[in-house]
Amino acid sequence: MAVPANKDQVIRDATQPVVSLSHVTLRYGDGPSVITALDDVTLEVAAGERVCVLGANGSGKSTLASVICGLLAPDEGTVSLAGENVLGPSGVDFEAYRRARRQLGLVFQNPDDQIVTSIVEEDVAFGPENLCLEPDEIGRRVARELARVAMTDHARSNPSNLSGGQKQRVAIAGALAMEPRVLVLDEPGALLDVRGRRGIMRVMAELRGLGTTIVHITHFMDEALAADRVVVMDHGRVALDGTPQEVFAHGEKLAGLGLEVPFTAQLAGALRERGLDVPWTCDEAVLRDALVSDSPLGPVPHGEPSLETGPNGEAAAVQVERVSYSYRDADSHKALDDVSFAVAGGSSVAIVGQTGSGKSTLVRMLCALEVPDQGRIVVKGIDTASRKDRRKLHGNVGYVMQHPERQLFAETVLEDVAYGPRNLKLPPDEVQKRCAHALALVGLTGKEEASPFQLSGGQQRLCAIAGVLAMEPDVLVLDEPTAGLDPRGRSQLEHILEDIHAHGVTTIRVTHSMDDAAKAQQVVVLSRSKLLMLGSPQEVFCAAHDKTLHDAGLGLPEPLRWAISLGLDTAPLTIEQLVDDLVATRDASRNEEVG
Amino acid sequence: MAFKLSMGEYWPGQSFLHRMDPRAKVACMLALMVSVFFVHTLPQLVLSWAVALALITLSRVPVAKVLQSVRPVVAMLTILGVCNLLLVRAGQTLVSLGPLTITTGGAWAAVLYSLRLVAAVIAAALLLLTTTPTQLTDAFDAALAPLSRIGLPGHELAMVFSLMLRFIPTLADEASAILDAQTARGGALAEGSPVQRVKAVVPVIVALLASSLRHANGLSRALDARCYEGGAARGHWHPLRMATSDWLALVATAAYVALLIALA
Repeated sequence: MAVPANKDQVIRDATQPVVSLSHVTLRYGDGPSVITALDDVTLEVAAGERVCVLGANGSGKSTLASVICGLLAPDEGTVSLAGENVLGPSGVDFEAYRRARRQLGLVFQNPDDQIVTSIVEEDVAFGPENLCLEPDEIGRRVARELARVAMTDHARSNPSNLSGGQKQRVAIAGALAMEPRVLVLDEPGALLDVRGRRGIMRVMAELRGLGTTIVHITHFMDEALAADRVVVMDHGRVALDGTPQEVFAHGEKLAGLGLEVPFTAQLAGALRERGLDVPWTCDEAVLRDALVSDSPLGPVPHGEPSLETGPNGEAAAVQVERVSYSYRDADSHKALDDVSFAVAGGSSVAIVGQTGSGKSTLVRMLCALEVPDQGRIVVKGIDTASRKDRRKLHGNVGYVMQHPERQLFAETVLEDVAYGPRNLKLPPDEVQKRCAHALALVGLTGKEEASPFQLSGGQQRLCAIAGVLAMEPDVLVLDEPTAGLDPRGRSQLEHILEDIHAHGVTTIRVTHSMDDAAKAQQVVVLSRSKLLMLGSPQEVFCAAHDKTLHDAGLGLPEPLRWAISLGLDTAPLTIEQLVDDLVATRDASRNEEVG
Repeated sequence: MAFKLSMGEYWPGQSFLHRMDPRAKVACMLALMVSVFFVHTLPQLVLSWAVALALITLSRVPVAKVLQSVRPVVAMLTILGVCNLLLVRAGQTLVSLGPLTITTGGAWAAVLYSLRLVAAVIAAALLLLTTTPTQLTDAFDAALAPLSRIGLPGHELAMVFSLMLRFIPTLADEASAILDAQTARGGALAEGSPVQRVKAVVPVIVALLASSLRHANGLSRALDARCYEGGAARGHWHPLRMATSDWLALVATAAYVALLIALA
């Protein structure tokens, strides 16, 4: 925390920006392949301000983060960080950079890479030790920061045994223990589940109360609402800069930049288009008040609810029968306990549950990578327990692991995608045909000869998925396929998956997003190794299950949450349904007034 | 997780062993481990085991946890024991079955060599169970200090050692995830001729290397951001300080080794 030593410093802090970039340009590489990551950027961050930086992949956000926390020196411009003029007309001042870095903290995506020792509290002490602080002072700071991020109980734990969200909170404590004047968070929630992200947002809210300057880079538009100021980057330039309300008013421009607007703003916009008298806003409370005061919300005149269920006639593609499993060395409880369900051929299934609920174990079993201790799993008529038949299954069931780009290994994209089909011992021309088809599906045609490691993050993900699709599986199992992607990447992948499902592929997908789960035909809810709920999204996501789902670390889709808080008696699962319902109540109350 | 390493995972506690100066502890435990190779007689074996058991009690680490660390070497000990049993020919013949002859000397060797090795493994396990990686690093740092004085990267070596301990579980998880993915893509990793197997492992190794590089990049960014400056002077949260009890432990260890040799 930038707890100022005395009053003079308060005054200095208040009058001078802690971060000041002026006409900054930064290029990677040279010659013809030069990439301009930052292009004439001018930006000031005032002391105590909370700034959120948005932008699509490759917009220069991460480079900006590195410049602000003093890890990268730009090629041109002037930079002053924490009161040190680190880059001026006379060039880089390395000593000033060293001094400045001691007052700047950074937390980035992967918590695993930021924890350097095997004991939580010693990791938090690592930074203060580098600052050569007195042992008593280090002890005081370690205790204080662990308490702040609610990790005191895990002070002596091994980080390898913590969840991603817990590890990320340890990383934040490690940065805060150095008492930085500015804390830069570079997509801290990108690899976390909903609960983990909420924990990070809570810590940030608390820091704002203490006056710490925060620069937060994120792909989640809703997180930007908590900031004082939002800066939108595009191709290394500042495209928009203002309060959240000001920035998100540029819906079309944001869409053009590969971004979106928060749910509240989407809803307000859609309602205004349909003629409802509500203000445009991205503030949830404002919109809610407007809706309640606009007209008393009456019952929605609706016809019979149209329950969409999976195709019934088809034989089950996957059958899970009373499956239990425990890891050999695990101390006590089962990873899966008596789980049963069936998946109809050609349907789409969402598996939800918080970290540790048994999702990943279930997915590995569906792909015949693990065999149940009790019960059985039959995929396409093949029992996964049979070692010989299991190999056959690997051609039928496609498995897209979490962050599948980690599976890339070959010298070219084409070679990598061909790995699966070749393992199936297909004739060369068939391999060729399938690879071309899979690459066309994900939109990577033309990149065949590129190295997969030179693709952008989003393209690497698509290349890895193409490698699975080229095997032309009947059942596709995906473990959080959109995790860590920007809004454009997410929607692109969603379209690809819809397309694949439309071609009759059974898709089973683990997701953290209830809104995504609501789009599936069947939802499987796991909690503490057991099957908690099973049914269509309409059956699973309803007001009556609010508490049960919340207790399992989950929640309701956003549209339904709105409907319940507004007192509607419908259960919309998409924003379109919610808008329809709200328009219908308005019309109904109007008719009453007329009649 | 395909590879779980239970050996060497720190077991939090406040016992005498936990609180010992890591330099003294490493020295004592190394002395104990080396000393078992002087054990040849029954009184010596009894003494070394008495010390090993006393140390377990002193550490207050659950016995089961210590034994868990011994488990990985059980297979090796069994083979060693059987070889000794069958190959050593000394003393009286106990059993003679065709070409197999078991003698009293063989039986004794089988028991002695296995048990003394277990005593050494217990000492090693206790060192790792009661010492945090940071403390171990500090101890090695101190041991390697002479290297730093002549310009070799003693401190950096100790830091690398510590990072290695930290990243082994992460990379093991990564390896098993990649193994899963390539298996699901039809990679036949445990089939065919040795040449085929080596070929089949390439997609896993290359992907794992790429992953390691990504981790290395992230790690270097984190070390920079946290103001780690290589061999430059760092502060210490728990500065190493030899207490009287640490000197006493060293003296006791020396006395034990002397007694062990005297018993030969």
